[in-house]
Amino acid sequence: MTRIWRETGFVENDPWIVETDDLTAGEDQKALLDLDTLIVRAEESNDVGLGVVLKPADDVSRLEPYLYRLEIVAVSFPAFNDGRGFSQASLLRQRLGYANELRAVGDVLIDQIPLMLRCGFDSFSVTNATALKRLADNRLPGIPHHYQPTARSAEAGQGYSWRRVSPKSA
Amino acid sequence: MVDKVLTANRLTDGISVWLDANGQWSTSLQGALVARHPEAVAALEAIGKRAYAENKVVDVNVIDVQETEGVLWPLRLRERIRAEGPTMEYAPGYPIADPKFIDA
Amino acid sequence: MYRYDEFDHAFVAERVAQFRDQVERRLSGELAEDAFKPLRLMNGVYLQLHAYMLRIAIPYGTLNSKQMRMLAHVARTYDRGYGHFTTRQNLQFNWPKLSDMPAVLHDLSTVEMHAIQTSGNCIRNVTADHFAGAAADEVADPRPYAEILRQWSSVHPEFSLLPRKFKIAVTGAERDRAAIQVHDIGLHLKKNDKGEIGFAVYVGGGQGRTPMIAKLIRDFLPEEDLLSYTTAVMRVYNLHGRRDNKYKARIKILVHETGAEELARQVEVEFAQLKDSELKLPDADVQAITRYFALPDMPERPEGWESLARWKKADEDFARWVQQNVQPHKNPDYGMVTISLKPIGGIPGDATDAQMEIVADIAEEFAFDEIRVSHEQNLILPHVALADLESVFRRLQGTGLETANAGLITDIIACPGLDYCALANARSIPLAQEISSRFGSAERQAEIGELKIKISGCINACGHHHVGHIGLLGVEKKGAELYQITLGGSGDEHTSIGEIVGRGFDPDKVTDAIETIVNTYLGLRLDPSEIFLAAYRRVGPQPFKDALYGSAAEAA
Repeated sequence: MTRIWRETGFVENDPWIVETDDLTAGEDQKALLDLDTLIVRAEESNDVGLGVVLKPADDVSRLEPYLYRLEIVAVSFPAFNDGRGFSQASLLRQRLGYANELRAVGDVLIDQIPLMLRCGFDSFSVTNATALKRLADNRLPGIPHHYQPTARSAEAGQGYSWRRVSPKSA
Repeated sequence: MVDKVLTANRLTDGISVWLDANGQWSTSLQGALVARHPEAVAALEAIGKRAYAENKVVDVNVIDVQETEGVLWPLRLRERIRAEGPTMEYAPGYPIADPKFIDA
Repeated sequence: MYRYDEFDHAFVAERVAQFRDQVERRLSGELAEDAFKPLRLMNGVYLQLHAYMLRIAIPYGTLNSKQMRMLAHVARTYDRGYGHFTTRQNLQFNWPKLSDMPAVLHDLSTVEMHAIQTSGNCIRNVTADHFAGAAADEVADPRPYAEILRQWSSVHPEFSLLPRKFKIAVTGAERDRAAIQVHDIGLHLKKNDKGEIGFAVYVGGGQGRTPMIAKLIRDFLPEEDLLSYTTAVMRVYNLHGRRDNKYKARIKILVHETGAEELARQVEVEFAQLKDSELKLPDADVQAITRYFALPDMPERPEGWESLARWKKADEDFARWVQQNVQPHKNPDYGMVTISLKPIGGIPGDATDAQMEIVADIAEEFAFDEIRVSHEQNLILPHVALADLESVFRRLQGTGLETANAGLITDIIACPGLDYCALANARSIPLAQEISSRFGSAERQAEIGELKIKISGCINACGHHHVGHIGLLGVEKKGAELYQITLGGSGDEHTSIGEIVGRGFDPDKVTDAIETIVNTYLGLRLDPSEIFLAAYRRVGPQPFKDALYGSAAEAA
């Protein structure tokens, strides 16, 4: 079972899917397009409210002209230890100023979610049973004291300029 | 076929263990259950997989041994060192590995 | 040295709690091994041949007596009464239980120690010159910057799942005692013409399977840009470092495959965006951190000059120890003392809990409570009055810590090797012991002079054999151990990777081969002041190949 989680809780009726040969977007669903397809679609139409799913090797700067037309950017973690998504997210938020939904999809596990939150992710597609349970209990294993500024802003003034603190585990 | 035994490290303390004839994980190589034909090896592998899945042990491997007059002798130096411990005096009160066992 | 404030204490306590939760989930089976492994690695927990191994961080190799005593306590209470100091200035325990780890980490946290990021695909312990702050030739103390990098890199969410491990070293003198050119990032602290502090930045050095010397990508990086620039390098690496092949995943491969110039350009492009961000280092912060590393109040002790001369005349052993193990301090009344962890025939880098306590006591009484760990696996007391040297020596005598061999042939660097390590192909320790015993006489050692032998039990090169004057690499051939010899390596400011001399040697032939090499050197050196490395660089490998593999020689 896969569920979508945000800090406000699990999301029901999430419309976004990745289309495959067997699966196409139904009536209340929308397709997350791969980067090349998204660019073509954006160039050839005036559509807004689009969604894209990035692969780890994708260059996020290619999205820059189309950001305002995106409702969601999904970033893939084919293996939980492929850390490229963390940089992609950081760049989307901090460099490109992307402000809409930023979702982690793929091998999303509970111990990486606090790190993902700090890199600017705000929604998570979660399949792992332990992760689902911990999220349901709102028991995230993060550390609220941080030694570096990140995409997600946190409170400064903790002694040295690079330190931050979060109000709760993130 | 070369004789084989099943070895792993205990999850709780990491200590090297070998599966013995009683199906227990023992800290001594001698007394390990020896698999002498492919079906027995497959059975060992299955036991190993289950023990790993049940979070009793980690780093499970089937290793080659030679049995001579009842003494099991791993074919790989690495496994002989695992069985005996470090090959020099490293801390007072702990036995040193038997050089005759270690050397090929 | 740096002292934790409330923030640091809170962070470590949270980290201990976080790991305790992870260990509990692992032991209960809720967390499986493949998900647990990167988490335990980021807390310094390895699985080795016989047991788990816990690697404790000793930031840039600096610790005080209270911390050393806690390491002794951990050795006694949770382990087998000893620890091993490593080539990255850390400490390893070889027999801790996973179930004890949370307790161990809690105990360590009470003295401002931890095991955070001593393993895993993240930024590791930032190492520095072990004589930092005391060396007469230092331009600036590298440790404040090592501390800033240490803090900034702790649980950095963007850089916790890198393609591979990442190692940074900082040096602050022209003489490079931190081997910065064989690190992923090497920082050479210096001053420009205007007297401003900055760094020469080297990227892509490393040993292991494909040893490479780092490339200079920035001649002068202003101090305030340290974190922005490092972020730029890390981000380029995180995005573009190879993830398809573990053996090609270090930044050195990225530099090699991209080209240093192009990689530097990519870093500069990213840096340009970060330069004026919140990562800019305010001078006030640098000054605040630097203050922690101020020299202790060191009283004038002029009587030391006369006493020292007198003691040396009266006691040959003492004289030899001073000659070999005491280096000039920037304050002439003081010296930098090396406590050798290489007793003749002993295990390089190991110390018992009793020995740790002795070092702690001596540091507290005679050395302003400051101890360093060098990447050559010795302990350093950076500030000892000449007038106290004799007392220090007497306290060391009979403890196994008094060996007067710093930098000599018996001051061998060796990884744990196949006696402990799951990655190894061959043993290192017994070989080190044999070589040490063969050359153990004081006269022989003095005759040979400075000669750094470094031994690795596998291609991962944790023994740093590539930068040994004589390097030994243990390999497995047809189920048996075999040792390849390299010559002419060096980790100093003229970094060189050692060259393989020829076919490898069986374990029982290696010490003879070393003897052949040494005798060849003694025969062709210009005079005793020409050390082995210099002689090798002058004559090249041929005389040694001839001696080892010529008609009179045998090899595997």
